[in-house]
Order: sequence, then C-alpha cells, then structure tokens
Amino acid sequence: MIQTVAWVVSLIFMTAIAGIFLFVAIKSKEKREYEPIKKKWYKARTFYGTTLVIAFLVITIYTLRELPYNQPLYGDEQEPTIVDVEAFQFGWHISEKEFKVGEPIEFDVTSADVTHGFGIYDEDRNLIAQTQAMPGYTNTVYITFDEPGTYEILCLEYCGLAHHVMIATIEVTE
Amino acid sequence: MSSFVKNELNSKNGMISTYLLIGGVVIALMMVFGILMLLAQGGVLDLSPAAFYQFLTIHGTGMVGAAAFAAAGVMWYFLRQHVTLSEKIFKVNMVLFLIGVLMVIVGVFSFEYASAWTFLYPLPALSANAWGTVGALLYLFGMLILGVGFLLLYIDTGRAIIKKFGSLGKGLGWDVISGKKAEKDAPSPTVVASTMVTIVNVTALTAGATVLIMNIINVINPAFTFDPLLAKNLTYAFGHIFANSIIYMGVIVVYELLSKYTGRPWKSNRIFLIAWTMSTTFTLLIYTHHMLMDSVMPKWMLIMGQALSYANGLPVLVITAYGALMIVYKSGIKWDMASGLAFLSMFGWTVGVVPAIIDATIVVNHVMHNTKWVPGHFHMYMGLGAVVMLFSFMYYLAKVDSNLKTNGLDKFAFFAYTLAMIAVSVQFLVSGALSTPRRWATHFPEWMGPALFGGIAGILLVIATTIFIVHFVRYMRERGTGFGELEQKDVA
Repeated sequence: MIQTVAWVVSLIFMTAIAGIFLFVAIKSKEKREYEPIKKKWYKARTFYGTTLVIAFLVITIYTLRELPYNQPLYGDEQEPTIVDVEAFQFGWHISEKEFKVGEPIEFDVTSADVTHGFGIYDEDRNLIAQTQAMPGYTNTVYITFDEPGTYEILCLEYCGLAHHVMIATIEVTE
Repeated sequence: MSSFVKNELNSKNGMISTYLLIGGVVIALMMVFGILMLLAQGGVLDLSPAAFYQFLTIHGTGMVGAAAFAAAGVMWYFLRQHVTLSEKIFKVNMVLFLIGVLMVIVGVFSFEYASAWTFLYPLPALSANAWGTVGALLYLFGMLILGVGFLLLYIDTGRAIIKKFGSLGKGLGWDVISGKKAEKDAPSPTVVASTMVTIVNVTALTAGATVLIMNIINVINPAFTFDPLLAKNLTYAFGHIFANSIIYMGVIVVYELLSKYTGRPWKSNRIFLIAWTMSTTFTLLIYTHHMLMDSVMPKWMLIMGQALSYANGLPVLVITAYGALMIVYKSGIKWDMASGLAFLSMFGWTVGVVPAIIDATIVVNHVMHNTKWVPGHFHMYMGLGAVVMLFSFMYYLAKVDSNLKTNGLDKFAFFAYTLAMIAVSVQFLVSGALSTPRRWATHFPEWMGPALFGGIAGILLVIATTIFIVHFVRYMRERGTGFGELEQKDVA
C-alpha cells in the first residue's frame, strides 16, 4: 500500500534528520577552528549534494513512468465502462454503481456547482484513487477493482457545511 | 552607541515588536481553534459543522496572515540594517493588516462565512445558503486589504533594494554568480533572502488580488463568471507562494543569529546565491503540486509540479540546513532561547521537507492528496520551522533590547513546544497514512484516535506559546534597557 510506504519512508528520513541535528547539537559544546571544519564539510557536501541530486533524478524518473492521468492499456476487445459522475452540494450523481471485479472503469467526474473531490475508498477505508470534481471540466479516474465489496465515494475537497456527509457507495461483485 | 541612535532604534523596535506581538498573539489564539477542531474530530467535543468550518476558515487565514505579518517584521528589522526602508509604509501595512483582520473576523463569526482560507471559486458565492453576500464580501475585501498592505511593503523593500544594489537581480547576487563581481562583495544573506521574498510575494499578491477581485465581482453579480481552473491556479499561486515566503523571511533570523552566536561568518558565496535563485524560481513555479489531481491541467505542468518540488528541496537540504549544521558543529556556541529556537527551526524546516516531497510525487498524491498528510507536512515546517524562527527572533530582540533574563519556565516552554509540535504534526501524518480526509467536521471512529491525541498535545503547545509571548510582553515593558547588540559573553 502506497500510504504505508510513504509513512515508513518519511519516518526513516525524519528520524535520520533528527539524529543528525541531535548529534551536531551535542557536538556543538566542543570548540574547534572553523576553517578546517569548513574545508571538510564542503568536501562532504559535494558528495552529499551529488548523491541527493542523483537520488532525486532516479526517483523522479521511476515514479513518473506510470501516471494516473493516462488511460491504461486495455486487452483486446476489452472496452472500459464509462461512468458519468456529477458532484453537487451535497451529494453524487453516479450513472452506474454496480461493477465486476476486473472490469476496467473510467469515472468521468465533474461538478454542478463548486469544486469537490472524488475519492474512492475500499472496505477498510483506505483511499485507493481520487480526482477533483470541478464545474465546467471533466477529470477522469481509471480504475479496475481487484476485490469485491462495497466501496465508498467521499468528498475530498472542502465544498461547504455538509462537505463531510457527501458519501455514496458503489458495489463490486465477483 | 549614542543616545540619539539608540532612541531612533528604540522607536523602530517599538513598531517591530508590535508586529511580533500581534503575530504571536494571533498565532496562539489560532492554536486554540486548532485544538477545538481536533477535539471535535476526536469525538470528545460537540461542535456544529457551521462552527467547525468557521474555525477552519479563521484558523487557516489567521495562521498564515499572522505568521506572514510577524515574519515581515523580522525581515524589516534585519533588512533596514542594509537599505533604507520606509517607516510610513511599515505603519500603513500594520493599519491595513488590522483593518483586514477585523473584516475577516466579522465576516466569519458574525456572518458565518466559511470558505476555508483557500476560498476556491465559486464557493464564496455558492454556499448552499450557509452564508450570505455580506459575509463573503467582508472576508474577500478583508483579504484584499490585507494583501494590499503586504504588497505595498514588498514594493517598498524592492524599491530600497534596487536603490542600493541597482536591481533585484543584483540583490540576488547575479553579478556575483556571473563572475562580474567578487564573492567578498556579494549581498548579505539577509539582502538575498529579502530580494527573493520581494520577488515571489509581489507575484503572489498580484495573483491573489486578481482572484479576490474576480470573486468579489462574482459575489455581487453572479452573472459574472470566470474559469474555475484559472481561479484555482491563481488561488494556489497566491496561497502556496505567500505561505512559503514566511519561512524565507524567517530564515533571516537563522542566518543572523547563528553566525553571531557562533562567531562564525555566514556569508553569501556563489553556491549560496545559486541556491537562492533556484528557490526563487521553484517557489514561483511549484504551486502546481497542489493541482496534481486536476487531470485537465496540462500534463507538463503537473510533471513540472513534481520534478521542481523535488528540486526545491535541494537548496534547503544542501545549502541552508547543511550550512546551519556546519556553523554550529564544534562551535562552542552558547545556547540560549534565541539560538536554541533558531537551531530548532532549521530542524523543523528540514524535517518538514520529507513528507512534503513525498506528497508531491504524483503516484503518492493520487492516494494522499487532501488527506491529513497535507496538514501534517505543513504543520511540521510551519509550526516547527517558520513560527519557531519568529519566536527565536522574539527572544533575541528581548535579549539585546532589554535587561530581561530568561528563566526555567522559558526552558520548559522550549521543550514543551518542541514535543507538542512534533506530536501535532505526527498525528496529522498518521491520520494521512490512514486516509483520513482533511477538512472534515466529523470523523469515523477509526480516524478519531490521532485527532484526539493531537488535540491534547495542542493544549501543551498553547501553554508553551503563551510562555513565549509572556516573555515578549515583559520585554516590551522594559524595551530600550538593553545593549542593542549581543554582548561578548554571549558569543562563542
């Protein structure tokens, strides 16, 4: 799950940063000439900076390979189910609400009034996909459900006082 | 120091300390609204949705506005040592700020306006009858007046920098980068940071004023409509840049204080200047990472949003944070509240970059956008970074401009604030990892735990912040009795 990866990776790096700051704070009590420290640290920075740039480049290229904006490659003779979604204050018009596991679906999402957020949650209330619902525009979410169950659609963009009650359900069966 | 110069400084310090006091008090009050919202989400406080979203609106607006206001005071304090700034404009900004704040408060609490501080078009006009035209106009005009004050201030800083250095490019040290000027003659970090903030905030405030005016017209005459995607771009161009500028103003404290306290110079060299030019460019461009879930946006803008967000981490990770660590390492620094908070703020900024960069990754954003992960990362680098820079400055000013001493209570507040702010930020991140949506008045039971924990931690945070402010108020009563500069015994 992406959320877990994001949390664990963040925790590792945040802990490492805390460790470095703590180490430097402890070492700050000693007093040494600045010039030799500067020389050593500048040298280390070249390595550190270069490593960071390369790491960022690699991660950027890796994570940009498959974007949620692109229509997935469907198999021969497999046509996606197009579902029209219109958000409104405070509910959802969804043209079709029952799907099959493995059925490719394209949710074409727009709004009748203000901006809303179309978030798809699984039965464990994990967010698995989303897009914005904006008046005058249609954003598309491509999804193929792997598991049967009752999925929830939650509003993910603040849209007014009943924002948190904008919940709809869709059913996915075997 | 002659008594004339000292009196002159005192009168300016009076205005600056008023900026800081207003900013600090508003931040503390906004924390209270934050606690109430977390306790409501945690299921222990019964808050109507109307009240919750009004609190949400005032919390976001107040925090960003107050922190930006206080940070402008900090920037003004240090920048005036290099260029001649207009006191009149500084005063005008304060007056316009107070008028704007008053209008926003009346709009939100008397007329129940609750669009959140992002006021996404056409929400101000289309509230499903939750609020009316008067509330919307009070809020939008209040924001516009606030923005005009800030815009005047940055036009003045830009004017002063151009007058002294020749151009904003030279304020950023482009002539040093290109080799036309020697590194030893480069503008100081304070001037470089102020130039960057001037450039990005004039842009941000112009974008903000544009979208505010269009919203105002739409509220008055609903027949006038405009493109919601354009409005969203303008809103985030304004909001992202303006909120981020707070830390770029605040970091001046870190440059000034850590070099003073360690007795080690923190000068602008070529790499430093390149880093600040990178920050200027990236800060202007990366607001599109707020729109990664708008697939109708040009794809190149969204890819740029991710790539440049990563790149924007480099100046802080490789130059500023690294520089702070290097200057403190084995320096024999004399730690006190001001230097301790300055160092803590660099930790807060650096650590906050991590979840920010992760969320700017499109595939991650697809399942974390508008979850509580987002407030998680900005509470970290704003609450543990930018705002701590302001408190650091408040203790510094009290130290050099009065005989006031800190005590054990201040030390307690330092550790309490650190722990509480980490707790508040981490509960948001955990909530985000659990897919909890942000800006929801109520939570499902499985989402309540972290919110409740955050609400309780928030109480400790308010106590610590109050201690910081009390110390500053005590300073204001004794203002002008200090040495004016750090004394030799305070320097490593």
